[in-house]
Amino acid sequence: MIIAERKPIAEILGFLSKHQKVLVLGCGGCVTVCLAGGEKEVGILGSQLAMARNKEGRPLEVTQKTIERQCDFEYLEGIRHIVKDVDAVLSLACGIGIQTCAEVFPDLTVWPGVNTKFLGVNLNVGEWAERCQACGQCVLDKTGGICPVARCSKSIFNGPCGGSQGGKCEVSPDTACAWALIYDRLTRLGQVDSLREIMSVKDWSYSRDGGPRKLVREDLELESGK
Amino acid sequence: MSADVNFQPKIVAFACENSGWLAAEHAAQLLLCCPEKVNLIKLPCSGKLDVLYFMKSLEKADGTMILACQKENCRFIKGNIRAAKRVTQTQNLLKEIGIQRERVGIFYIAANMGHKFAETVQDFYDKIRELGPNPGKVIK
Repeated sequence: MIIAERKPIAEILGFLSKHQKVLVLGCGGCVTVCLAGGEKEVGILGSQLAMARNKEGRPLEVTQKTIERQCDFEYLEGIRHIVKDVDAVLSLACGIGIQTCAEVFPDLTVWPGVNTKFLGVNLNVGEWAERCQACGQCVLDKTGGICPVARCSKSIFNGPCGGSQGGKCEVSPDTACAWALIYDRLTRLGQVDSLREIMSVKDWSYSRDGGPRKLVREDLELESGK
Repeated sequence: MSADVNFQPKIVAFACENSGWLAAEHAAQLLLCCPEKVNLIKLPCSGKLDVLYFMKSLEKADGTMILACQKENCRFIKGNIRAAKRVTQTQNLLKEIGIQRERVGIFYIAANMGHKFAETVQDFYDKIRELGPNPGKVIK
């Protein structure tokens, strides 16, 4: 899932300083699961903003709404009647949702309420770790299901590098060496010999090499348009 | 001390039905009075409490509290521990916007402590009275 973290309240209050009516808009997708921008977080932030502005003597009318997903146009179309009554939207969706919201409501300021961090997994309550860089060409078949692109600090193939000590990365003692994990996993699966095969250099043309990426699957298209 | 001597704070008190709520009933049986503007809300366990409950309460109240089971005496094992953490989380949110963290509190109590219930609620009420009206209150 996409992991996000709420922006500091001072930054958000700065964004909203000139507005009197805002919609705090949550998303029922990834940001709900990572506790950054779901219905509950919308409620908490809405209260915090209203109280902070009341304290300053400049009341802020806060409307709260959480939709199924902000990265789908149809869910955003469904809140047009709410959006027409506000000065701005504070979106608690990931960067994708915020941009989709801005695209659907071109005449309205859409402020980001979260910082989108990475694609990751929930390890514990309040703890997440990166697992994928969306590089566009998955190599997990060769590495025992552990991604060297996302989990090795250098994103190297055919590791580990000289900085791997006791299964830890030289970057931080809290970071496991991805190549130590790969070796251990392939050993457990009885496939460690597969590491003798040298992986060719990473083909970054599937990643951000050509600018923003787009995927078109003509087999799924029913009609032209969005 | 609050500038307004007539100030009567509004308090929202959440109470675990296994301790705080029963202590309130015990206090009522003993004819111990509670300040007028205290709104008592029953919860199935203090662990049911959420930061959102506190924040929404503070939109219209001057202080909010949770009456939880004594430490290591929660029927659901960790309810009161979790409630204490949520109190801290709420206090941090209040601190971020410059509102006194003392407006939220957790108090541990047993079902048969009617006297302590009355005393605890009165003490919290007096403390909030001293702090004065909640400057962030949205619904006056």
